[in-house]
Amino acid sequence: MSFLIIQSLVNGVILGLLYLLMAIGFTLVFGIMRVVNFAHGEFYMLGAFAAYFAFAVAGLPYPVAVAGAFGGAIVLGAIIERVVFRPFRGDELSGMIASIGLALILQNLALIAFGPDPLSMPSLVSGAYNWGGIILPKSRVVVILGSMVILAIFYYFLMHTRTGRALRALVQDREIAAAYGVRVELMYPLGLALGAALAAMAGAFMAPLFGVSPFVGGTPLLKAFIVVILGGLGSIPGAVIASMLLGLIESTTSTFFGASTADIVVFALVIAVLLVRPSGLLGHKEA
Amino acid sequence: MKFKSTLALAVGAAIAFSAPPTVAQENKTLKVGALVTLSGAGASWGRGMLEATELAASKYNEAGGIEVGGETYDIEVIAYDDSYKANEAVSAANRLVYDDEVKYIIGTVGSAPILAIQPITEKEGVITMTLGFTSEALSPEKPYTFRPNLTTAEVAQPQIDWVVESQGIETVGALFPNDETGEQIAKDVSASYERAGAEMSAIEFFERDQVDFVPLLTRIMSEGVDAIELDGNSPETAGQIVQQARDIGFEGAIIRTGGPATAEIVNVAGAEAAEGMFVHAGLDPSKDSVNAYITEYEETFEHSMNGFSPFFYDGANMLFQAMQEAGTVEDTDAVRKALESIESYEGVLGELSWTGEDRYGIAHQIDAPFYVAQVRDGKEEIVATCDIEGCE
Repeated sequence: MSFLIIQSLVNGVILGLLYLLMAIGFTLVFGIMRVVNFAHGEFYMLGAFAAYFAFAVAGLPYPVAVAGAFGGAIVLGAIIERVVFRPFRGDELSGMIASIGLALILQNLALIAFGPDPLSMPSLVSGAYNWGGIILPKSRVVVILGSMVILAIFYYFLMHTRTGRALRALVQDREIAAAYGVRVELMYPLGLALGAALAAMAGAFMAPLFGVSPFVGGTPLLKAFIVVILGGLGSIPGAVIASMLLGLIESTTSTFFGASTADIVVFALVIAVLLVRPSGLLGHKEA
Repeated sequence: MKFKSTLALAVGAAIAFSAPPTVAQENKTLKVGALVTLSGAGASWGRGMLEATELAASKYNEAGGIEVGGETYDIEVIAYDDSYKANEAVSAANRLVYDDEVKYIIGTVGSAPILAIQPITEKEGVITMTLGFTSEALSPEKPYTFRPNLTTAEVAQPQIDWVVESQGIETVGALFPNDETGEQIAKDVSASYERAGAEMSAIEFFERDQVDFVPLLTRIMSEGVDAIELDGNSPETAGQIVQQARDIGFEGAIIRTGGPATAEIVNVAGAEAAEGMFVHAGLDPSKDSVNAYITEYEETFEHSMNGFSPFFYDGANMLFQAMQEAGTVEDTDAVRKALESIESYEGVLGELSWTGEDRYGIAHQIDAPFYVAQVRDGKEEIVATCDIEGCE
């Protein structure tokens, strides 16, 4: 029994880290642009396709495939901010609806271009590490290590570079940041582009685990949404805590009580948090 | 082989370039409806059925028409799309039966559509050939409905019996989607394993949008099962389960009872994880007749063939043979009886007869050979040949 407890905790931490990469971009976009970006899952999907074509079709090395997904998403994200989201700045509801429309468009374009059938993304590694009966699938360890590197780079960028500070200033207060010389016109596209790029890299990393098809974006979007509601919209430390919490709850309750119970517990927690702390665990109250 | 492909090419070219038959001006027209799904989900099945019918009809038309009761008829296939929906199937059936006045319908693809059109077709004595898997499609009160393909009800037990015995399986774990379909399949499959002498010792249900199965698989593996059954899951989900089970070190057998899905599962899981999986196979690609059909089909229509297509090619041909034996295209009661009495028909799939008296109360269910295959390097390799009685 204690073996099962440890195994499910390990599974939960892995799952939490997978959710984190997705949730960080989602919460960043909300923090900067005040847009609940429902197209976030579709950037995940496009990243998965980009990795598939670079790695499985063109035969490029995997890091190059991930970098390609990153670069492509940066450009696409910046263009989309300019074309789709700019007119809705400061209008949260219209921005959200535009993002739903964008999600539908991207998903159906992918459906037309790539067809509905799941594509074959070869695994990078197979097998599992076995540490005294505790099993760590190698494919997940690779994804986790990759995610941690990306999150570390992202953290450094956000905390210790001029641009990162400007982005954080924008999250805290747009007008004051603008008054201090933060170039809002550059930072908005950059914010969405970074959010999209994080999602695309999550897609590229998880494609070997969860497959590639036009419909793969839905589940990660839902998980990111739950994480961000729990952690607080716009709060990055909140996203870290909430994704770990979500991963651990899903894993332990699924293992000991079944999948339906896991869903009940997760959503009960979401409701409880919303009742007690409407802005999430570490969210800021609306000004 | 060369001869066959040349022949196929010639037939394909003939179909492609044939002008309206000028030699057969005096021929009458035999209208056959194809009420199938041509758009949305299920379209690949519907297309396979329609084109199988067209291919069967074109064979007769090439030869100058089909002779029934001293008359010669050109066969005309009239196709309607039901979008896999019951209400659209009903309006299409109304048009086919009352406007086009067809007496024979190939279709429908779905279960709900066939149940919806049967009040029309059975009342008017229109013979239908459906793919619908529902057990209610066939009954003594519906004497004009036939099913030329096998369903899970036919194939599950023989396949499970064989796998359980040959692999020495005692306990089985399974994951099913948490809905009506999943629960029904869980019940059926558990009963089948019990009859085969194994126990379904760990059953888990999950929501359909779930993609991470590691926690549930951990739970199933902690029960120490010998095998994991994938029946009831979409090909994509089944592929994810296979991959994740192998990822966390599951070494037992993985079994997929039910519909053809091997290619998609291998795509998602990867050939390495899928290696050694036991799957249901409807076709034996090493059989010459099957190969010839696939080649001819792909050359004629220039896209790949759906696995159900040959069942409907054989089914349509059995129907045409029944008309010839009954000597009429008008009296569908006589045609139906002639069709029922066809035995050991030599089709593309092998030897075909009708069965189903015990299960449905009427012998309108095809009895065709099928296979248990094992995945080797991402491809199916036949390991057992089965019929409804069992596998060997």
